[in-house]
Amino acid sequence: MPNLTRFLRTRVTVAAGVVAAAAPLALIPPATAADVDPKVKAAEAERVKAVNLVRPAVAAVCFYGGQVCGSGVVISEDGYCLTNYHVTEGISPVMQCGLADGLLYDAVIVGQDKIGDVALVKMLPKKEGDKFPFVQLGNSDDTKPGEWSMAMGNPFGLALDFTPTVTYGLISGTQRYQPPEGKGTLEYTDCIQFDTSINPGNSGGPLFNMKGELIGINGRGSFEKRGRVNSGVGYAISINQIKNFLGHMKAGIDTDHATLGAMVITDGEEGGEELNKLVFTQILDESDAFRRGIKPQDQLSAFAGRPMSSTNQYKNALGLYPKDWRVPITVRSAAGARKEMLVRLMGNIDTFVGEQEQPNQPKPGRPGRPGQPPPEQNPAQAKAKKSPAAKLVVEKKGYANFHFNKLETDRLVAAFTKQHGSAAAFGGNWAIDGTVQLVDGRSGEVKITWADDKEGVTEIKINRNGIEDSLKPLSGNLSQAELALPQGSGGLLLALYQLRVFLTKMQAGFNPNENIYPGFVHGGTEPVYPMPADVTSKAPPAATRTLCEVIRTKKGQFEGKWFFDPKDGTLVGGESWFDKGEDPCELYFSDHKDVSGVKLPHKVAVRWGDKGYAVLTVKSYTLGKK
Amino acid sequence: MLRRFCLLALLLAPAARAADPFVDVTEKTNQKVLKVFGAGGFRGATNYSTGTLISADGHFLTVASQTLDTSELIVHLADGRRMKAVVLVTEPELDAALCQIKVDGKKPGEPTGLNLKDYFDIEAEAKRPHAEPGDWVLAFSNLFEIAMRNEPVSVMQGTVMSYSKLHGRRGIFDFPYTGDVYVVDAITNGPGAGGGPLTNRKGELLGFIGREIKNSLSETWINYAIPTDATVTLRDGDKTETVSLPEFVRLGMQGKYKPRIRPVAASGPGGYTGIKFVPNVLDRTPPYIDEIMPGSPAEKGGLLVNDLVSFIDGEPIYSIKSYHEYMKRTRADMTVRLEVRRGDNLQSVELKLGEWPKGMLKPTVTLPPEKK
Repeated sequence: MPNLTRFLRTRVTVAAGVVAAAAPLALIPPATAADVDPKVKAAEAERVKAVNLVRPAVAAVCFYGGQVCGSGVVISEDGYCLTNYHVTEGISPVMQCGLADGLLYDAVIVGQDKIGDVALVKMLPKKEGDKFPFVQLGNSDDTKPGEWSMAMGNPFGLALDFTPTVTYGLISGTQRYQPPEGKGTLEYTDCIQFDTSINPGNSGGPLFNMKGELIGINGRGSFEKRGRVNSGVGYAISINQIKNFLGHMKAGIDTDHATLGAMVITDGEEGGEELNKLVFTQILDESDAFRRGIKPQDQLSAFAGRPMSSTNQYKNALGLYPKDWRVPITVRSAAGARKEMLVRLMGNIDTFVGEQEQPNQPKPGRPGRPGQPPPEQNPAQAKAKKSPAAKLVVEKKGYANFHFNKLETDRLVAAFTKQHGSAAAFGGNWAIDGTVQLVDGRSGEVKITWADDKEGVTEIKINRNGIEDSLKPLSGNLSQAELALPQGSGGLLLALYQLRVFLTKMQAGFNPNENIYPGFVHGGTEPVYPMPADVTSKAPPAATRTLCEVIRTKKGQFEGKWFFDPKDGTLVGGESWFDKGEDPCELYFSDHKDVSGVKLPHKVAVRWGDKGYAVLTVKSYTLGKK
Repeated sequence: MLRRFCLLALLLAPAARAADPFVDVTEKTNQKVLKVFGAGGFRGATNYSTGTLISADGHFLTVASQTLDTSELIVHLADGRRMKAVVLVTEPELDAALCQIKVDGKKPGEPTGLNLKDYFDIEAEAKRPHAEPGDWVLAFSNLFEIAMRNEPVSVMQGTVMSYSKLHGRRGIFDFPYTGDVYVVDAITNGPGAGGGPLTNRKGELLGFIGREIKNSLSETWINYAIPTDATVTLRDGDKTETVSLPEFVRLGMQGKYKPRIRPVAASGPGGYTGIKFVPNVLDRTPPYIDEIMPGSPAEKGGLLVNDLVSFIDGEPIYSIKSYHEYMKRTRADMTVRLEVRRGDNLQSVELKLGEWPKGMLKPTVTLPPEKK
């Protein structure tokens, strides 16, 4: 494939020539109002209305000091602004954004998606509490070829007062695939193609539908020999893809895209008149696809609800999701059996970061920025250090800006505590009495106890109908079989142990911050598929999907995830791994009721892998004080 | 009353916009467009084009480009089917190639049994009055090879700027069509767009997107389409006759269209200048003039021995080989502008090319291997 596409970061030097060339075009006298059909006037008025609605929220993303680098758009009143990663890449972490009000605001990188070419920055208000104009996010899946669209931004760094330029054109195609530029980054999956004019400097700017809803972030075009200006073929990252990564980016994460952990190829590329099938060839041992029993030659017939008949469709669908998300897939075995299942996606950033980090070598595949002195000599960077935004930067591996992870963690913990109350006072031994219904049909009484010995080592026991299992999770030298107790649960004891640590101690109970997976961090957003309370239900897993906020924890060597309803901070589920190479034990909480001032779940559904294990119904909690 | 009418109009306006008429037109027209791929699968920058379906039996039109110089022509239908196709007949002066989807087991000329629902009836479409400057147009094509299989082709919009002839572009890009074209204000003629339908806002066929050509004066690309009723005058030996695109299609479908005998074969050496160069000993021997044939266009134009040919029509010429390669694209009666270095100066000379004198040895040019 020849190098057909380029990105649209501005090169300011071209601006002067373009201004001069554009001027003579404005000389045709406008038609008088009387000549114009009222329908045309009405359509024009509507267009003007849409432009005016969104115009104040369109940003020029600048080097610190105001030199325009690209465009952006404000999506919340507190100043969160979307742009391209290839715009912020060279100017992070502290930059400035100009709005149509003519003012430059200090801004700081929050999160980024290198592969998807998206970055989230936060603009600082001139006065604490001032609100920014912002736009509404649309639903880009509703966008169709043949619809009108508006692109806005600051092409060629044209407007020195940051008043955005608006261009108008047609959606030319949707669900387009444009392969990565550079080593695996800047891959445009499921993107929107349009003939609306975009030029250098439009990068990162918004694409709107005619209701003024944000449907994409412009960033790329097909140019080939037509030169690096509008060629009638521009691409925007769909807003629906960005929504999936937004929770991660808000949490300061340097997000990663996903792989299935398996190789999928088209069957019979050359032969077929009919649509291709996608078949699995290799499946990594450590992948969820492997654990779900997928075999080479099995057919991938649907991925996250989309039918699959080409690699473009597959790459489009895969590109929509962050690493670690769980999505439903449909697999047809060679024998013809059809099975819908949930798979956890693996990350893919390690693959190319590893390739890229060659010592003493320039990064391949990325254009340099001519005329830009190295940061240490750059006066703009020196000035940026004195910006209040510079105080909002915390560097940490795996994060674009860890400062925002801390903010999001604190906010979520506060929401959870407001919803559930605090169990901090109940640091003593705990017990649950209730009933259990196992997936194999057995049921009966259950008693669960948490007891700390003199050294503070917890032992947790579960007794159902007289059969007892126990575990001292941090006592060391435990076999996998012990950690996974009770058998078939994937480590329910370990999960319940972590649940108590979480409820009673929160941040303080987990490992002090570690390098890549700190002991207690915000993990962005993930879809959760709560298990139906009826343990034998055969309902398709995708039916219960809810998007949750995530806290990731690590206690000793054990990782956990805790899922919260983003609306009110309710704890809806958790996952606990006894081994990162295995499926976690999944807990789904419901029927939250007050116990001594703490709202605790009285129904807990337990699942491991693709099987339900049991549903626990709590009659009573006994919460001991220290 | 007037006020009530206005109020009603305002209330209705958003609903009318919500059902954007171009969406339906786009969906329907996409069914009539094929993605055409030449030899070597999907590699190579110009090895793909766009086809417009014109019969239920799988006939389609595309531009008569080198994409078709293959026995392995492949098309992708809107429903995702991938099928073979054959070129039935081409007419360079209409820049049109009539092709047909091939169905395995069917002999040439036999009905294919495809029974396609969606296609343009070119005879009927050609009877429609021309679009006027200022009218909306929609362009459908697989430019930049963006779509594969059942992915819809790209749609672009614009207006007709003028309906006129393209002058003085022939030869530069071997563009033999001399009739009228629609010139449009959108960038519709990207790589591979040629052959796609240009429609009005209702999806009625106006013409076919032309191949990529550049205006040699302004060095800008021209966005144009050859109208559905395009008519050209052809020279067949000593006779002249006119042929229209619908006639070409009708006769072509019946197997009765006879391609004309051209004065100069497309693959010939091109027009005659009467320049002889120094012996071509190197891969990149500089094109120094060694001899000028008496009475030749070069002599009439005032070229001298020892002039170094540097540009033809603005394109740089580096070697004897690149000179011949360029000249291949010209033919007799065309005018080319040569810039030659004479001493320290560049001289500009216009030559009206002639026919090669009988018996004169023509240069042989080997083309560089095609990049894969």
